[in-house]
Amino acid sequence: MVTGTLRTPRKPGRTAKPTSPGIGTPARGLLPLVLLLVLWELTGDPQSPYFPPPGSWLAGVEPLVDNGKLLPSLGETAITFVLGLAIATVLGALVGTLVGASRPVDRALSPSLEFLRALPAAALVPVAALVLGYTTEMKLVVVVLPATWPILLTCRTARRSLPPVLLDMSRSLGLSRRERTIKVLAPALLPAVLLGIRVAAPLALIITLLVEIVTRVDGLGALLGAAQSNFLSAQVYGLLTITGVLGFVVNWVVTRAENAVSVRMRGTT
Amino acid sequence: MISCRDLSVTLPAASGPVHILADVHLDVGEGEFVSVLGASGSGKTTLLRVLGGLQPATAGSVSCDGTPIDGPANGVVTVFQDYANSLLPWRSVRRNVALGIEQQLGKPERDARVDEALDMVGLLERADDYPAQLSGGMQQRVQIARALAMRPRVLLMDEPFGALDAMTKATLQDQLQGVHAATGATIVFVTHDIEEAVYLSDRVVVLSGRPANVGLTLDVALPRPRNQVSTKEDQEYLHLRHKVYEALGHDVGEQAHA
Amino acid sequence: MLSRVNVSGVAVFVLGLALWEVLVRTGLLTFTYLPAPTEVAVGLAEVVENGELPSALAHTVTAALAGWALAGLAGVAAGSLLGLVRRVWMYSMASLEALRALPIVAFVPVAVLLFGFSVQTEIIVAFYAALWPILLNTIAGMRTKDRLIETGRVLRLSRAAVLWKIRLPAATANIVVGLRLGLSTSLVLTLVAEMVGNPAGLGFLLVSKGQALQPGHMFAGVVVIGVTGIVLNAIVLGLARLVFRGQLTSAGEV
Repeated sequence: MVTGTLRTPRKPGRTAKPTSPGIGTPARGLLPLVLLLVLWELTGDPQSPYFPPPGSWLAGVEPLVDNGKLLPSLGETAITFVLGLAIATVLGALVGTLVGASRPVDRALSPSLEFLRALPAAALVPVAALVLGYTTEMKLVVVVLPATWPILLTCRTARRSLPPVLLDMSRSLGLSRRERTIKVLAPALLPAVLLGIRVAAPLALIITLLVEIVTRVDGLGALLGAAQSNFLSAQVYGLLTITGVLGFVVNWVVTRAENAVSVRMRGTT
Repeated sequence: MISCRDLSVTLPAASGPVHILADVHLDVGEGEFVSVLGASGSGKTTLLRVLGGLQPATAGSVSCDGTPIDGPANGVVTVFQDYANSLLPWRSVRRNVALGIEQQLGKPERDARVDEALDMVGLLERADDYPAQLSGGMQQRVQIARALAMRPRVLLMDEPFGALDAMTKATLQDQLQGVHAATGATIVFVTHDIEEAVYLSDRVVVLSGRPANVGLTLDVALPRPRNQVSTKEDQEYLHLRHKVYEALGHDVGEQAHA
Repeated sequence: MLSRVNVSGVAVFVLGLALWEVLVRTGLLTFTYLPAPTEVAVGLAEVVENGELPSALAHTVTAALAGWALAGLAGVAAGSLLGLVRRVWMYSMASLEALRALPIVAFVPVAVLLFGFSVQTEIIVAFYAALWPILLNTIAGMRTKDRLIETGRVLRLSRAAVLWKIRLPAATANIVVGLRLGLSTSLVLTLVAEMVGNPAGLGFLLVSKGQALQPGHMFAGVVVIGVTGIVLNAIVLGLARLVFRGQLTSAGEV
């Protein structure tokens, strides 16, 4: 069956743990974290500028809710993240498939692509800010570039290892180029795209927050940076927790999507 | 029906161009069942790919019904050896069989053709299953059904039963005979199995040499329908089989000296 | 290493640069602060000459490596414990998973809050960033390779011998991957810490050049950062291959 080739092998460590707590990892492992938080709550000083206890975090975030900044910021972060990931997916899938389909094209483009890939996202932030200004478009550009790579790589590998018989048979059956792409190639590469998204999504979120923290354009990162500048430690921890929840939700959604599609693609009912 | 003249195929390789086929002459008449026999790597798959329009010829001409072949021709369908990967795992058997005809035909006619094709290979009751739920032999039958749904005039088969066990192979060979009789399609059947070639065909063409060329051509005048037991005990069958082995054994001996 | 030079690859790269140069010079690309490749080269020379770049580079690399080294020690030690002792794993893995969901970048403001504008902030951020890949990969590498362990039992090896002769070598490939990932991550997060917290090093160089509207210098800094990452990674990989040739070959990493 095609499963052996469609599920591209993951490099060790790239996605070290595919499960979320509760699925495969014993829930009792949450004990240390819970204990830590409880201890902190009991022994912490709400007035401490460094370690305000968890109970005070909600109060710390409240002012942002009151002045109507929290939700819009969350929205800005979410939009940049989703849009950036979407663009990265399209770009990565197209270029990856192109490069994977033709060895000569791969050899020609690889060095340039590898060079671009070596530039860390953090280094791109000041560059983008200077060249494109402090705008949402700039945020998008910074997010798209690094998020494209995982998807590009998985699509390239999948396209390379696509059984040649798939395209041969579709040509033999007289399918037009359009039909071949839509009915055969795209579904065959879909699991690879989703695997790439699964790796790229957390990355895209991190970079969205990164660009927001460094440039303070908008979004959760900007709030986080502002809270830190104003020494509002409870607010900092509160916002940190919110980003954590966001990160967890993103991971969960993306993993579920990948699993669902893989099952469908393998044709088991 | 199909005609090859001075057909040559040369492919580039790291160590220089490799001549796979040279000056091949081949004629296949309408409704004929021709086997192309040869050792592994003898170029028979390349020949089939050229006939199927999947590989261009470097020199010479190939035509079907007078029209030169320069791409997958209408009415010519190839059945591949790698049946598992040739089916789309996300589609049911029914929808897999419909792949080649769904763009051109409306639903009622499409369904009728699919049912007809599946019936011919005896898989009508598995129509709503998925390829992953079928055995290897069944998957190959689905691929054949998919080709049959196109109502092809020419069926090109690339070692279709090579990966199957002996018993499944025997069953499918007889099923193919039935399909041939029922549809009257022209079949070009590539194999390295000598018994299979003689058993199934009207004519056996042996490809040999490097670069490959048509060596022996044998007419197989055994009566139809053929039977796995009685035909294979027939004197004429044994005689033909002997001649083919000779032709190939001779070839191997020559290569050992070269 | 390069048995055949990738002519088309180099050609495309050079053509790309040439195209960029032309587009900027002829004014077709109208970004005020987008420098042409030649300007970047000039900027690079200038910034190296006046000593800004070398000192910034030294600062960043030192901080990143310090944090990474500490993370290496802590990560391999803790990862080994978690990977080997099932009890410990069961009672802590879920917490780690929960913490892992927190984007590392969000911790930088926390670090700045707690440790201020200092190089300690950088090192701590680098440490935290590198810790995750090292820890997780070590755990993955250490967790039972049953058949190998059985072999050890059959050969009547002591538990210590099993650890030293079987488990550690088998885990080496994973650990090396973790260390490499950790290095890239710590480098990146050190840059972030420099942009947001401590005004020193390459990160700060980029930001200040941006504010001073000197794109040539800034792009030069970016190129240096990219190259540094590649070089450091190659060094680690090279050393690892040298020292652990056998283990890495079996894992297909050589």
